[in-house]
Amino acid sequence: MKPVDLVRKLRREAAVKPAALDRGRAVLMAAIREEVQPMRRPTIVPRLPYEDVGAALSFLERAFGFREVSAARGVRADGAIDHTMVEFGDGMIGLGAQGAHGAFSPKRAGTASQYITVHVDDIDTHHQRALASGAEIVSRLHDHLRDYRVYEALDLEGHRWRFLQWLRQVPHSERR
Amino acid sequence: MTSPPDAVVIGRSLDEPETFGVIYDRHAATLLRFLGRRVGAGVAEGLVGELFRIAFERRKTFDGSRASALPWLYGIGSNLLLKHRRGEARRLRASARMAAGREPTERRTSAAALDARVLFPRVAGAIEALPDGEREALLLFAWEELSYQSMAEVLELPIGTVRSRLNRARAHLRELLKRDGKNRERSR
Repeated sequence: MKPVDLVRKLRREAAVKPAALDRGRAVLMAAIREEVQPMRRPTIVPRLPYEDVGAALSFLERAFGFREVSAARGVRADGAIDHTMVEFGDGMIGLGAQGAHGAFSPKRAGTASQYITVHVDDIDTHHQRALASGAEIVSRLHDHLRDYRVYEALDLEGHRWRFLQWLRQVPHSERR
Repeated sequence: MTSPPDAVVIGRSLDEPETFGVIYDRHAATLLRFLGRRVGAGVAEGLVGELFRIAFERRKTFDGSRASALPWLYGIGSNLLLKHRRGEARRLRASARMAAGREPTERRTSAAALDARVLFPRVAGAIEALPDGEREALLLFAWEELSYQSMAEVLELPIGTVRSRLNRARAHLRELLKRDGKNRERSR
């Protein structure tokens, strides 16, 4: 038998799953989106660790109105989201699987080491939406003096979010 | 309405990047099979997106005089495979065991079948031992059944060079098989 015929005998097919094609397409589409609308890269980007990044993402979108920066999404071999970014106004924050970079979700750590302040335009509507989505309100909506309106809520894994709307420009000399 | 050739689609994608999705839809399954034959379905799944991401980022360099993008995509895939030599070798050895096992049952005890059990692992070893360029040419020819013209586009070589590289691969393979056979006889 000729060498090439012997080589042909070792040709073996591998199964082609539609899911594999979908995943490949998602990688290409992320590259295309990145070119059409390059991702903003603020100087400082905090990252929050979660046990379940996918669940955390859909909660943050639903309850707080964050939008995913889909070009930032990284997916594990099993299809689960490993990390991604969300934006709100001109702010941006990363969500990532806990354990990486030594950070753990409050759900596992039992305590959070930071909270995040988000400035919103219409705090009452925002608060309604959070309530309706089942966010746990840990500081009720109230006016702080006559300067700003504020409430605080926990997300699914216990990260604490502080939402506030300024009611007037407060001169520095008046601030308490 | 006939669909526009790849070169037109890629040209259009320079201004409208989303158009490049058409190239994926046309060729991804072929490339996924190509990668799968070489490194197995699991690794191929991870590579196919990477391949098209690279293609998209390099689309400006696509030679518009070529109607089909397929050889160009094969070329990017071949380069990606270089980083997966170990996985390729593993799969090749497993394929050799399967090929040996495919021999007809009535010949299982015959000398020919016994030969298959030593022959195919030897072929796998010989393919592995070829220089990268020769192995690539040989597998594109024998497994992907590409024409010399397509292979020239994949490997970015003149067609004459492709022909001589393939001949060298054949000669090498023959020699490796012979030498390995002799070594075995001597060690018996």
